[in-house]
Amino acid sequence: MIQIKDLHKSYKMGKNSLHVLKGINFNVEEGELVAIMGSSGSGKSTLLNILGMLDSSDSGEYILDNVPIKDLNETKAARYRNKFLGFVFQSFNLINYKSAAENVALPLYYQKVPRKERQEKALKYLEQVGLKEWAGHLPSELSGGQKQRVAIARALAAEPKVLLADEPTGALDSKTSYEVMDLIQKINDAGNTILIVTHEPDIADMCKRIVHLKDGVIIEDKKIEQIRAEQYV
Amino acid sequence: MFDRDIWQEIYHSISNNKLRTFLTGFSVGWGIFILVLLLASVKGMQNGFTLQFSDDATNSIFVRTGTTSLAYGGFEAGRRIQMTNDDVEYIKRSFPNDVEYISPRVYQNTSARYKSETGSYNIQAVHPDHQAIEKTIVSKGRFINTNDLMNASKVAVIGRKVEEDLFKNEDALGKFVEFNGLPFRVIGIFTDDGDDNAERNIYAPTTTYQKMYGQTDHIDQIALTYNPNYDLTEALAFSDRLENVFRRRFKIAPKDQSGIRIFNYAEVFEDISNFTGGLDIAVIIVGLLILLSGIVGIGNIMVFIIKERTKEIGVRKALGAEPWSIIKLVLFESVFITALSGFIGLGIATGLLAAIGPSIKTGAFANPSVSMSMVVTATIILIVAGVLAGLIPAMKAARVKPIVALSDK
Ligand SMILES: Nc1ncnc2c1ncn2[C@@H]1O[C@H](COP(=O)(O)OP(=O)(O)O)[C@@H](O)[C@H]1O
Ligand SMILES: [Mg+2]
Repeated sequence: MIQIKDLHKSYKMGKNSLHVLKGINFNVEEGELVAIMGSSGSGKSTLLNILGMLDSSDSGEYILDNVPIKDLNETKAARYRNKFLGFVFQSFNLINYKSAAENVALPLYYQKVPRKERQEKALKYLEQVGLKEWAGHLPSELSGGQKQRVAIARALAAEPKVLLADEPTGALDSKTSYEVMDLIQKINDAGNTILIVTHEPDIADMCKRIVHLKDGVIIEDKKIEQIRAEQYV
Repeated sequence: MFDRDIWQEIYHSISNNKLRTFLTGFSVGWGIFILVLLLASVKGMQNGFTLQFSDDATNSIFVRTGTTSLAYGGFEAGRRIQMTNDDVEYIKRSFPNDVEYISPRVYQNTSARYKSETGSYNIQAVHPDHQAIEKTIVSKGRFINTNDLMNASKVAVIGRKVEEDLFKNEDALGKFVEFNGLPFRVIGIFTDDGDDNAERNIYAPTTTYQKMYGQTDHIDQIALTYNPNYDLTEALAFSDRLENVFRRRFKIAPKDQSGIRIFNYAEVFEDISNFTGGLDIAVIIVGLLILLSGIVGIGNIMVFIIKERTKEIGVRKALGAEPWSIIKLVLFESVFITALSGFIGLGIATGLLAAIGPSIKTGAFANPSVSMSMVVTATIILIVAGVLAGLIPAMKAARVKPIVALSDK
């Protein structure tokens, strides 16, 4: 699903240049649930942003679902993001004046799905995350965990090839975090490919594979026995 | 392009920022309001001018002769040019399609007397056509007719003021009044809207005066109206032709201004419309400047809104919004605010004009109003203005980098 070869990324700040990714190589198969671990500043978000086509690499190869990702203009990047990727952010990033259902329907709008179908799908995915009754509520009326579940429903709505989540539990208490992880595991059980950035070992242990980043390189990449979140909720 | 979602976005954005939207909308609405009122005022001035001149037929031309100031065609300067009845006939024959009404004028000062009342008046000896040229309104009796002219009858049509002064409370119609000691029968009394001086005039047949004063065929002036279908250019072209013919006929140097003078109302109208046209342009410039400040205001607000919504725009982009869809969002909002507030300004201004415009009629100012074409133009300007105001902020929005917008710092 994802093939990355010798990926480099530096941030230029004035005269200085900060080399954040120093040759990353890894592949992700369909249906994997991967945790990207590492201490703060190790380049996890940078890697995820490049995978998400929100940022571009300086050199290296990136192939997503057999499509080489390079020389993207804004419009093309937007289309690829819309077609291939779903995002979940630490701070949820719901649009505050749109209801839960409207938020979930937004990527479908950019896919030019007709209005009626959008609404149906939005409800379907809200149901999947257990928030069907909250469809008409604004984000401000939801708890943190509920917000993140709406965000996950939104990411799923576009039916992406890969789900990218940057610290999805970073703003949540541990009980809520496990609820979210439980949801993520179930989505993964259904066959979805998911990459999660986290620095919390307990969250990483709930994935099927851990990729450890340090100083811009992968120092460890191992398959693990998944710990089910279900038992903690 | 205009789906429900766009409207929903605009609605949300506006309802979240009511005061801000109102303030910017106000500046555009105010700009349009002022622009419309200013243009309507210019229209009011034009109407006022037209009204003042419309008393006389606005398609009239007056031909006067004088003494030449330049030597020409073998004649020395200082020659007196005298028009005669023949010249009237000559114009009729030469310009059958151009001339509508034509009449000579012979001027005479007279002391008039009825019983013990006396007064000094101007007599204009004219043809029946003259009534149409001056739009003389005969309130009692009739105007001079062809019979009067053929018989050189001693008849007179007197102004309302003359009747008032000489006849006091008597009805002048049918009575005899003495002009320089000769009795004239009053066959009509005329009025003139809003011009007392015109009502001190007296009309008599040309032939009568030509006979009384030495059997001449001299005339002082020719008044005529041209084909009413002529526009300004055709009218001016006609009076030029007329002037050329007369200069040749009387051998007057082309540049000699005192030998002959042809006065065409069209020229006055040309001057007036040049003047008001100039005003039009000045007003449009002022109005556009006011509007421009409104546009800058809206542009500023939009930039501000974009700043506030940077994060949201980043999210939209992450979810697959293409740059154009972001531009569309900002642009439509800007056009919507501009157009809506502009229409309100336009509506209030035109409503105000429709309500009080028709009742305004003072001197050179009458019925200020706006034309449909002006309203349409204003609408187009508004939409263009909205696009302009939204353009820079929209480009800014389209350039928002999702990673920067989404960074949790
Ligand atoms: N847009 C940027 N410009 C400059 N430096 C950046 C930018 N984004 C991240 N960095 C720097 O790159 C390094 C890696 O950042 P990041 O990928 O966010 O790390 P992580 O997500 O693992 O905490 C950090 O030192 C950070 O300060
Ligand atoms: Mg990070």
